[in-house]
Amino acid sequence: MAAGPDLVVPILRSGILARQFCERVGFANVEAVFERCFYLRSGDDFLCIGEPDIGNGPITLIANPGSLATVRSVAGQAALVCNERITIANSVRFALDQSELWRLFDWPVCPPLDRLTDTCAALALRVATDAPREGLARCVIDECETAGSAPPLGRIARPRVALLERWVSGLLDGRATSAIASREAVRGLIGLGPGLTPSGDDLLIGALSALDAVGESEAHAAMARAIIDVLPGLTTPLSAGFLRAAAAGHVGENLCKILSLIMTGDIDAAIALAGKVGHSSGWDMIAGILTTLRIVAAPRWASAAHAVAFS
Amino acid sequence: MSVILNEVRRATYLDSIVLMRISRQIAALPGVEEAGLIIGTPANKVILRDAKILGQEGSAAEPGDLIIALRARDARAADAALLEARRLLDQPSALGTTAAIESSRTIRAALQRLPDANLALISVPGDFAVVEARKAMELGLHVMIFSDNVPIADEAALKQDARDRGLFVMGPDCGTAIIGGVPLGFANVVPTGDIGIIGASGTGIQEVSCLIARASRGITHAIGTGGRDLKAEVGAITTLMAIDALDADDRTEHIVLISKPPAASVARSVLDRVAKSAKPFTICFLGATDVALPANARSATTLKAAAELVVGEVADSAKLRLPPLNGGRLIRGLFAGGTLCSEAQIVFRQAGLAVMSNVPVPGASATTGAHDGHVLIDLGDDEFTRGRPHPMFEPGVRDAPLAEALADPGVGVVLLDIVLGYGGHPDPAGHLAAFLAGRQRRPMIVASVTGTDADPQPRETQVQTLAEAGVIVAGSNADAAEAAIAAIGAR
Repeated sequence: MAAGPDLVVPILRSGILARQFCERVGFANVEAVFERCFYLRSGDDFLCIGEPDIGNGPITLIANPGSLATVRSVAGQAALVCNERITIANSVRFALDQSELWRLFDWPVCPPLDRLTDTCAALALRVATDAPREGLARCVIDECETAGSAPPLGRIARPRVALLERWVSGLLDGRATSAIASREAVRGLIGLGPGLTPSGDDLLIGALSALDAVGESEAHAAMARAIIDVLPGLTTPLSAGFLRAAAAGHVGENLCKILSLIMTGDIDAAIALAGKVGHSSGWDMIAGILTTLRIVAAPRWASAAHAVAFS
Repeated sequence: MSVILNEVRRATYLDSIVLMRISRQIAALPGVEEAGLIIGTPANKVILRDAKILGQEGSAAEPGDLIIALRARDARAADAALLEARRLLDQPSALGTTAAIESSRTIRAALQRLPDANLALISVPGDFAVVEARKAMELGLHVMIFSDNVPIADEAALKQDARDRGLFVMGPDCGTAIIGGVPLGFANVVPTGDIGIIGASGTGIQEVSCLIARASRGITHAIGTGGRDLKAEVGAITTLMAIDALDADDRTEHIVLISKPPAASVARSVLDRVAKSAKPFTICFLGATDVALPANARSATTLKAAAELVVGEVADSAKLRLPPLNGGRLIRGLFAGGTLCSEAQIVFRQAGLAVMSNVPVPGASATTGAHDGHVLIDLGDDEFTRGRPHPMFEPGVRDAPLAEALADPGVGVVLLDIVLGYGGHPDPAGHLAAFLAGRQRRPMIVASVTGTDADPQPRETQVQTLAEAGVIVAGSNADAAEAAIAAIGAR
């Protein structure tokens, strides 16, 4: 009889999609190992197991602080998933039986449009001074040059961000848009940029969340549909997993907090938190949020949501 | 004709910061015109094509693959760059993904994980540093002690013991070293070359190695000794061992020694050892006068002069355009680097100006609290950092004294240093620019930026940020001090 695992790590909290992964999947592979977390993959689905400071998320299992230090040499190993347990290489077992379900909290009430305008202006100022030059944040405030001497990422991203802005603006203005135009609006940004989750993907996740938070459900659905339609083959499998989750309305705790702080006008706290999310990921999400909220706050005849509110 | 080289690594996940850092390191290599490491998504291939570094192999990459793409002036440079990219990617410490992953609770356990390791970096409260260093030495490891607050008697005993075992002790209070191209503590990304540096000062090593790098030269090793190694109680044990090591190193053609003025007896033993070497030395005893050097050594009074004696002219501040003064005629210097503060004082003394400092060099006065003269403050000194972070990784430490200087009507010029590299703040220039934004009246601000374009915070970007914020950026710390003096019309 095989001996039991050397180490049993209790899971403290689990995201909704992480639980579904554990219920559905039998075998997985350790796809990527990072300092504070690692990822299991089964087909197109991913599960993240991490320490509390990475923040809760829909595909995340949060383990005891410090408990992952001993299980770092698991890259490439196979994992067995059954009975609320994940066993990796028969040496470590993660136990979900005592874990608490983490859920996305409710968005704050959308502020009046004049206050939202002020918030966006303040946020744009902070983006101009604080955002890293490597990501896309500066592209949404016209700080990102398109001239030949500008960095290639910014030069290529700027017209693509502008296309997304025009498309979202059209959606919120209630203008009809074709499926082809919708796909083109998001296609150029998916997979754009370096790293685990390319900057363009983070921007789109920020934009999706902002649409959700301000109650623009039709626009959210349209963007989600466009992303899902074009997604195959455009970005890393892991980032595609995050985009699919966001399209289904599932985003992580850090993004929830950043967006909530922005909507309540606490820009300093939002910026401080964004700076802790990856190297530029938090800022790229802010780029998507700012792009969307500025369009939401812009004067127009009536957006779908506000038309309902004022009818 | 330029050569494009691509290599694809299948299903490779790395943090963007790691990829950007390695990209910059590869792009800074000799003969490399452009380089990028990026995930092989269709959108990213457009970026590589736009940068004219996408080849056939890269074009075939999948979205989960990593593309190493570069363009070099010839095949030899391209091959060398690709080899270096592979080396950096394969280094566990380079990945960030697995670097901190292999954590161990004891030095012995760490050595079991990494049996080929030959150096331990000790960064614990000073009370425990010697104990941990001894544990490392027992296991045959050289030691770099980042910690300070170690009694000098303990330092001397530790170093004597290490010397008997044939082991180095760099430190205590050793902030910077680069051993075989591996940066330790606060250090910059500089090319490999033929110049060895021995330094009792962290920012001294950083400034000299960066000036050397910006003159397109490189270093073999930069060996930190700790600030008290040349005191009589310690007897320059590490400095002498470092001279032995670099003297015996075939790749080291020239040796630079940086320190505050040593005790007379220690200076004699060090210079006697220098005289026995066939290699040329540059000696920078900051603030020392009348040092009789052997024939194979030349004396440099400043860090900039030390670099220039080795590689020729390193920075030109003659082009600096200084606007008219908007305020008084006093200079207030607020430094993150202690040695940079000392170097600035020497420049002031050479210009015949009286200067006060909390860390005065010979000829300067100690600060009294009154600000009625030129004052240069080392904000990294214990009085400012006790219970607070060092300004090199928390530039906010400088905000309050800077606000005070900006508001002082007697101050015409504020002199600052920005120190980049590993261990430093990710965007010190951005912090300063944000602090200055919207301030109406302010004196002229002159700064130097110690770093290279291959650093995690590329120097070029930091300089641009400062320039956009209205800061006058000099080519070196000594040049910044010269510019400040010129601005008040004292030169």
